[in-house]
Amino acid sequence: MSAVQEAMPAIRGSRDATVRRFALTDSIFHGLTRAAAVLVLVLLGGVAISLIVGAWPALSTFGVSFVTTESWNPVTEKFGALAPIYGTIITSAIAIIIAVPLGIGIAIFLTELCPRPLRRPIGMAVELLAGIPSIIYGIWGLFVLAPFLQTTIQPVIISIFHGVPGLNSLFAGPPYGIGLLTSAMILAIMILPFITSITKDVFDTVPSVLKESAYGIGCTTWEVTRRVVIPYTRIGIMGGVMLALGRALGETMAVTFVIGNAHRISTSLFAPATTISATIANEFTEAVGDLYTSSLVALGLILFIITFLILAIARYMLMRIDARTGA
Amino acid sequence: MKPMLSTELNTPEVAVEKAKIEVKNLNFYYGQSKALKDINLSLPERSVTAFIGPSGCGKSTLLRVLNRIYELYPKQSAEGQVLLDGKNILDRSQDLNLLRTKIGMVFQKPTPFPMSIYENIAFGVRLYEKISKSEMDGRVEQALKRAALWTEVKDKLNASGLSLSGGQQQRLCIARTVAVKPEVILLDEPASALDPLSTAKIEELIDELQADYTIVIVTHNMQQAARVSKQTAFMYLGELVEFDRTEKIFTSPREKRTQDYITGRFG
Repeated sequence: MSAVQEAMPAIRGSRDATVRRFALTDSIFHGLTRAAAVLVLVLLGGVAISLIVGAWPALSTFGVSFVTTESWNPVTEKFGALAPIYGTIITSAIAIIIAVPLGIGIAIFLTELCPRPLRRPIGMAVELLAGIPSIIYGIWGLFVLAPFLQTTIQPVIISIFHGVPGLNSLFAGPPYGIGLLTSAMILAIMILPFITSITKDVFDTVPSVLKESAYGIGCTTWEVTRRVVIPYTRIGIMGGVMLALGRALGETMAVTFVIGNAHRISTSLFAPATTISATIANEFTEAVGDLYTSSLVALGLILFIITFLILAIARYMLMRIDARTGA
Repeated sequence: MKPMLSTELNTPEVAVEKAKIEVKNLNFYYGQSKALKDINLSLPERSVTAFIGPSGCGKSTLLRVLNRIYELYPKQSAEGQVLLDGKNILDRSQDLNLLRTKIGMVFQKPTPFPMSIYENIAFGVRLYEKISKSEMDGRVEQALKRAALWTEVKDKLNASGLSLSGGQQQRLCIARTVAVKPEVILLDEPASALDPLSTAKIEELIDELQADYTIVIVTHNMQQAARVSKQTAFMYLGELVEFDRTEKIFTSPREKRTQDYITGRFG
């Protein structure tokens, strides 16, 4: 028997021990990472549950009328969430209408037309917009944008549409400066970087050979963008828009500054209004009664559900474009 | 008898009745590096010319000069002359979109546009012609027939172009190119991503198309060049080494490098 063969059992024994040790550390590592992942779900579930529990008194008292009535009266303790829901949806919708064409335009310019040396500076400037704290948008909106709109833009628009049926009620009333449209404009500026950077990223996923073949049959840049690039990336763009919408719906600080915080539904875009998040931020400290507090939590629950759905749709759409380009 | 004008190195020993494209003293640069060195050749009308050579020899680059698609990218530049029917297309006054309707291009990978099969073809036609719906139907059908795709897709013209198989997509791309009624068709390794059956179909198609179009094909596959082309240009390291009748290139090349390449000694 050689020395090597004699040593075999000993080597095998120590190797088994090593393997067992590895198996142990591996399973600990596995457990820890899984716990971290599960924690996220637990937190999400916890938030949802505490919102539901907190909102329950209000929801059971008012039932469906909580979301269908407009009156919000802390004195008589009658609460209806329709005005903030309306304000939230309208401001976000207008913000999207303003920001989407702008954002897509910037993305087209950056990916297709911009001279290379300018591409990075402009792209970075747009992304820096996303880094500005929302409180700054708020004070800028209140002290600069709103007075400007009040004295310069709104009187002109009101007088132009004065006699036009339909539009005259959309742009009516005294020019307050603050209100639905002003909030929407601030929101549009705030979500512009999201739309631009996501659109730019999905435009970059278009294979250059596909663009070349469109140019190859004589397309202009406009035709290539309109008929090939945008259809190819449509799902991704939609995902980006949804993500931006999710952000607009939940934006609190800047909107609170310029919305006017009035619990009423007005057809005029110049009228003061309120949003869900602005209402909560404004009134939480003053909410004395249990029902008042519970109503604010119920507002939070509604916002949670809306943004959750919007973000889920956005993620799903972005996943679909990833799946296609990854294939 | 062949005419005796073959003393010049790059002149094929074919009687070029009419040159569709003449390349004169063409140099091409990617930034600082020179990718094509003093290329001279003339491509006869209604005939298939193949560019062969090892990877990086400049054959695709040369093809991409012919419709100036390289201009989409900054830092790529060409100098010299490329005459299409005697007119220099490298001239700055040349309208690029117009040029590309005259010189169509099919790429290595099939690139159907994200729209229906019908629209893939109608799209390009509509860019430059205002025609009625029934005329357009005719054009689409005719183009699909030319590309030997009609029988396979005639019942699903509204399906997405992306739903076709790779070989069908490539024929759709050829149909799309043909529909615009170009004069020249550039094919950049059109069959390299396809299976042998689809490749055979594409080759048959090229053979039929040369009755009406001047065709230039870049290929890695020497048998393919031998099968489909009338003239072959062998390129190496950015130079045009030899340009002659395909038969001549593959049986008795003049240059040692051509000989080595086609017998598989390198590349």
